[in-house]
Amino acid sequence: MADKQLDTTTAASAFQKQWFADLRRRVFDERQPYALLQADVPFELFDLLEIPAVSNQWWASIIAAKRQAPQFLGAMDADGLHCGLCRYCSLGFASTRYADAGEPPWGGLPTPRLLCARLTCDCIHRVFELWAEAFGAELFEIDHPGAGELPERWWELGRRQWRELVEPHRLAFLVSTLESLVERLEAISGRAFDRNALRDRLELVNQQEEVFDDVRQLIATAPECPVRMTEQITNVMATQWVRGSDWAIAHARAFRDEVQQRVDAGVAACPGERARLMWVGAGLWHDTGFYTAFESSHRAVFVWSMYLAFGPDGYIRYGLDDPMAALASRTASFNEYLHNPPWAAEWLVHQARAHRIDGALVLRPRSMKPAATGRLFIERALEDAGIPVLPIEADVVDGREWDADAARADVRSFLETRVLQ
Amino acid sequence: MKEPFVVASWPSVPVEIVRAAGFRAVFARGACAPTPTADQHLEPGVFPRRLRHLVEHALTGRLSDAARIVIPRTSDTDYKCFLYLREFVRSGVTSALPPVILFDLLQSGGAQIGGYDAARAHALLDALASASGRKPSADDLRQEIVRANGARSAARRLVVFRRIVPRVTGTELFPLLAAFWELEPERYVAAVNGAARAFAKRPALSGPRVLLTGVPVDGPELHQAIESHGAIVVAEIGPWGSGAAGDDVRVDDDPIRAVADKYRADAVGARTPAASLRRWSERMLDDVDAVVVSLPPEDAVFGWDYPALRDMLQARGMPHVCLRSDQDQALTPDEHARLEVMVSAASTLQEARHG
Repeated sequence: MADKQLDTTTAASAFQKQWFADLRRRVFDERQPYALLQADVPFELFDLLEIPAVSNQWWASIIAAKRQAPQFLGAMDADGLHCGLCRYCSLGFASTRYADAGEPPWGGLPTPRLLCARLTCDCIHRVFELWAEAFGAELFEIDHPGAGELPERWWELGRRQWRELVEPHRLAFLVSTLESLVERLEAISGRAFDRNALRDRLELVNQQEEVFDDVRQLIATAPECPVRMTEQITNVMATQWVRGSDWAIAHARAFRDEVQQRVDAGVAACPGERARLMWVGAGLWHDTGFYTAFESSHRAVFVWSMYLAFGPDGYIRYGLDDPMAALASRTASFNEYLHNPPWAAEWLVHQARAHRIDGALVLRPRSMKPAATGRLFIERALEDAGIPVLPIEADVVDGREWDADAARADVRSFLETRVLQ
Repeated sequence: MKEPFVVASWPSVPVEIVRAAGFRAVFARGACAPTPTADQHLEPGVFPRRLRHLVEHALTGRLSDAARIVIPRTSDTDYKCFLYLREFVRSGVTSALPPVILFDLLQSGGAQIGGYDAARAHALLDALASASGRKPSADDLRQEIVRANGARSAARRLVVFRRIVPRVTGTELFPLLAAFWELEPERYVAAVNGAARAFAKRPALSGPRVLLTGVPVDGPELHQAIESHGAIVVAEIGPWGSGAAGDDVRVDDDPIRAVADKYRADAVGARTPAASLRRWSERMLDDVDAVVVSLPPEDAVFGWDYPALRDMLQARGMPHVCLRSDQDQALTPDEHARLEVMVSAASTLQEARHG
C-alpha cells in the first residue's frame, strides 16, 4: 500500500486504534456496556447516552485490511453458509462465531451489551440475530419501510426540506422506533436522554459535515486532486463513527486545513495528473493498494468515493426544532440514496461532473446482493453522461477469488482505450 | 368484458383487500422461459425468476390490461422491483405500464409495526378503491374475509390428505393449494371438495415423507424431481403450498387491522422472522422422514438458517439434501444422485421404525 501523504491520515489511524483499545479497557476493566451497530444506525443516540458504539462495516474493513478475512470466511464456508450470502455484513459475525479460525485484529471484539441494525437488506435480520445469539446479547431492530415517493435531487432537499424528502408515515414510524431505541438505551445506561443535547449534537454534526463539504469542494476544484481517495476515507470515516464529538470536529478541521495547504502550495496526490477516477461502491478493503496502483504508470488518480461525498449530502439537516424527526429523516433512505434508482444514478452523475471525472469504476459486488441492485442504472447513467465505466467484479472483504493482477490489467486497458485517448 | 384484475408480485398482498376493491388478484410466478428484455435491466443472480418474469411482462406490454401492479415490501428484491418499475416509467423505458403501488407491509416485531401495517393496508385499499371506483365499506371487507376464510378452511382439509399417512403426492396437491390465491373462494371450495372426495378413496402412499424447505417454491417442479425417487413431499415452506391457508383472519370490528395482522404473521418470505420459520420447521419434522433444503443461486437469506437446521436434523438422525439449483430448472445429475441416497436412507429408517 502507498505511503500516507497527509499527517492527519496518520493521526486518524492512530485515533481509531487507540479508541478501540480504550473501548476494550472500558468493557473489560470497567464493565461498561457498548453496542455493535450497522453503519446506518444513528450513532448519536448511543453516544449521548454514553454507550460507545462499534460499526459492523468498520470492523469488517479492519479484519479484511489486516488480511484475517480468509480464515473466518473459510470457517463460514465449512459450516455450510453458501458463498452467495453477504460476506461484508457478516464478516464480523464470523469473527465471533468462528473465533478460533483466525486472529481478530487488536484483540477482537468484547461482548456487546446490545446489537442494533436497520433492516435494509433481507439478510440483516438473520446475520444480527445469529450474531446476538453467538454473543448472548440483546438485539434491537429498526425496520425499514419502503419509499413510495421518490423526489428527484434528494441531496438538495435533504438539507432544509427534509420533511418533503420522506413521506410522513415513514418519518413518523422511524421517529417512533428511535424513541423506543432511546428507551432501551436509557435502561442500559441508567442515564436520562436529553433532547436538547440531541439538537446540540446534530448542530455539531452539521458543522462537521460542512467542513467535509469544504474539503469536497477543494478536491473538486483544485487543478489536481490534493488528497488520495484512500486517505479521504480514513480521515472521514474515523470521524463519522464519533461524529459531532470534539475530536471529530477538530480532526475534520485539521484535515480540511491540511488539504487547503496542499491546494495552496500546489501539492497533488499524483503530480502530473492525467485521469481523474471515481469509485462507485463500498471500498475494496482487502486490496486498498488497488486505488493507488495507476498513479505512477498512467497518472490516474482516484478522486472520488461515496465516503466523503455522502457526509455533507446525506447528513446535514438544518431546521432542528424536532431533532428526532431530523435524525429520522437522515436515516430513512440511506440505502436508496446510494444504490437505487432514481436517487443513486442522478447523484453520482452530478458528483462526477462536479469532480471532472474522466472514468468511473463501478463495483459489481459478488455476494452483497442488495448492494448489487441499481448498478445497471448507475452504469448506464454515467455512460450516458459521457463518463466511461469499467465494472469491477469483486467482494469487498473476501479477497480469496480476487485476481489483483488481472483486475489491474483490466483497469490499465480501460485507461488506455477509453479514458486517456 | 374481461374481469378487472391487479397483478401482485407475491402472495403477501391480501386477496381480501384486492377483492373488496373489486378486483381479481393475479400473482407473479417463476418459469423457465427466457426473459431477454428484463435481463437488460435486472442484475443477474439477484432477482428471483418470478420478478424477472414480472418485469419481462411489464416491459413488453403484457401487463397493460392490469388495473394496478402491487408490489409488497416483504422482500428486498420485491421492493427493488418496485423502484425499478417506477424508474422505467419515469425514464421513458416503457409507457404501457399500469400504476405501480408499494404495499409497505413490515414483518419485524417492534411495538410500532402493527399500527403501521394497518395504516398501509388501509392505504392499499384506498388506492385500489380509487382505481375501481368502488368504495368498499368495513362490511364489504369483512365479507371478503369470511369468503377467504371459507377457502382457507377448505385448503386445511386438503392438507390432511398429506399429513401422517399421505394419500396424494405433493406434485398433485401443490397446484390445488396454490390455487387458493387466485380462484374465487366459492369455486375454490367446490374444487377442493371434489378433490377431497377423490383423495379419501385412495390408498395410502408408501415412500418416505419429505419436507421441502429453504427458499419457498412457487411451482411443483421440485416436487416432481423429489417424488421421481419414490418419496412423497408432504409439506413445503412458503405461501403457495402448506402455508397457503394458515389460520383464519379474525372477523371483528377492525377488518383492516385483522388483515394486516394476519399477513404480517403468516406471509412467508425473505423478511419473515427467522424464529417463526424455525418453529414451523420444527413442528413439521415430527411428521416427516427426510428434508430437502432448496437454496437457489439468488438466495441471500434462507441459507443463513441452514447450519442450525442441519444440526437439528443430524441430532434427530434425519437424512437431508441441500440443493443449490435454480428452482425452475432441471436438477443436475449429481443432485438427483444425492436425492436418491437421501430417499434410500429415509426408506431404511422408515422400515426400521415400522418393523
